[in-house]
Amino acid sequence: MGKNAAASFFKNAVATIISITVFLVIWQLGISFTDLGGIMPGPFTILTAFFRSFTHNIGQYNIIYHTMFSLTRVLIAYVAACVIGITLGLLMGRVRLIEAIFRPFYEIIRPIPPIAWISLAILWFGLGEMTKYFIIFLSAFASITYTTFSGSRAVDPTIIGAAKMLGANDLQVFTTIILPSSVPYVFSGMQVALGTSWATVVAAEMVRSSEGVGWIIVSGMEINNITQILVGIIAIGLMGYLLSTILRQVEKVFCAWNVGGV
Amino acid sequence: MGKKKKSFLYPLVTAATIAVFLLVWYFVTDVYHMVPSNMLPSPVKVFQTFIAKFHDTKPDGATMLQHLGASLQVALSGYFIGVVVGIPLGILMAWSEKADMFLRPIFDLIRPVPGIAWIPVMIILFGIGLLSKAMVIFLSSFTACVINSYSGIKQTKTVHLWVGQTFGATNLQLLLRVAVPSSLPMLLTGLRVALGSSWGALVAAEMLASTRGLGFMIQQSRGLLRPDVIIAGMIAIGIVGAFLTYLLTVLERFILKGGKW
Repeated sequence: MGKNAAASFFKNAVATIISITVFLVIWQLGISFTDLGGIMPGPFTILTAFFRSFTHNIGQYNIIYHTMFSLTRVLIAYVAACVIGITLGLLMGRVRLIEAIFRPFYEIIRPIPPIAWISLAILWFGLGEMTKYFIIFLSAFASITYTTFSGSRAVDPTIIGAAKMLGANDLQVFTTIILPSSVPYVFSGMQVALGTSWATVVAAEMVRSSEGVGWIIVSGMEINNITQILVGIIAIGLMGYLLSTILRQVEKVFCAWNVGGV
Repeated sequence: MGKKKKSFLYPLVTAATIAVFLLVWYFVTDVYHMVPSNMLPSPVKVFQTFIAKFHDTKPDGATMLQHLGASLQVALSGYFIGVVVGIPLGILMAWSEKADMFLRPIFDLIRPVPGIAWIPVMIILFGIGLLSKAMVIFLSSFTACVINSYSGIKQTKTVHLWVGQTFGATNLQLLLRVAVPSSLPMLLTGLRVALGSSWGALVAAEMLASTRGLGFMIQQSRGLLRPDVIIAGMIAIGIVGAFLTYLLTVLERFILKGGKW
């Protein structure tokens, strides 16, 4: 068994190396032999620039600081969205009155893409950090509330009935049945929300900011420096990948019995 | 008995909360002027602007329907390319192990980058016309299509495949008759998720580079300090987004017939 796993790992690694090499070679050939060379830099130029950006500043800061700025924005708003979204989702799922009060607002807000709030948020909160927190909060809040809501709704009523028959009170039913069985839903919502928050911070920083990964991209566009844009994209991609990997590991610890796909 | 009474009560509560919300909004803006009107216009003003925008080109140069047409053109063309490329690619990756081995690394490279981040690259490559925005939307919708069709095919029951093999089905028949039909619910979910992310990316694409469209209208109105137009635009975006999703839900119900095969 172990031998097989090792063999398939080896095969996959070889395939990965081959496909990425082919991709880079096509890219390099494309810019060396066609007109694309005039507007696009080659993969090596970009990789060199990427590693250079760790020690040399882009604008005021180096790339680690820029990523940290964006990450701080995301985490502040994301944590707030998680706390409020999970609470509201659970309450809406279990208490009819709260659902009747909050559901309409939620349903009105949900179909509006968070990025569409940017203009209004700038009028309300100015160009500072609050605007960004607000938009990221909205983007994360929608999916967390929705999945938590449907998770707390999807609890098997037979189990609740059984617990009540055995004398559990409402609080016990909530903490021992509803909460644990909503956890997989909550995590899938958090997973999606983290992805959208990361995309939203990039968008928010592209519309207006003076630091952060989104800023790297827009300022690259303003000074027509495509290498800088692609360095920003690499940083965004790596950080996005890292965030979703971390959350997936957390999920594995918290709900080992139900690990989501993809 | 009590249950019946409650089913009347809750819609009433819902209607009451919306009414209270609108009233508070109205009192804060129009009656007591607690918030300046260039930050939050009154609901009446928003409603009037919303109606007026259908024939009035002020202040941003086009009527609501012209903006909407431009937005739909961009969003749907990008979405369409995303579906046409993404779904077959997802199916291919799930069905053929070799394709998975070689294509997955490239896909994993592209996937974590949000579509919005590609806007400047696309502008440099394709200019600020329809094509660059359509490409941004393509990248946003493409990933959802690939992921969902991939996991849909992967969830095909092996027993069903065995039955097909026992009856002498070829590989292609197994794919088209067994795997694809059983993955349809996931495929359609992918279509719906992709539509949502296309519509969201559209607003961003139009905010950064365009001369027409709902996102452009919102962005312009901020500079002109016209929050009533911004809110009217947001309402339009919300309604159209909800309507498009609704169309796909209807399609889903029509195709799946309640998920029974």
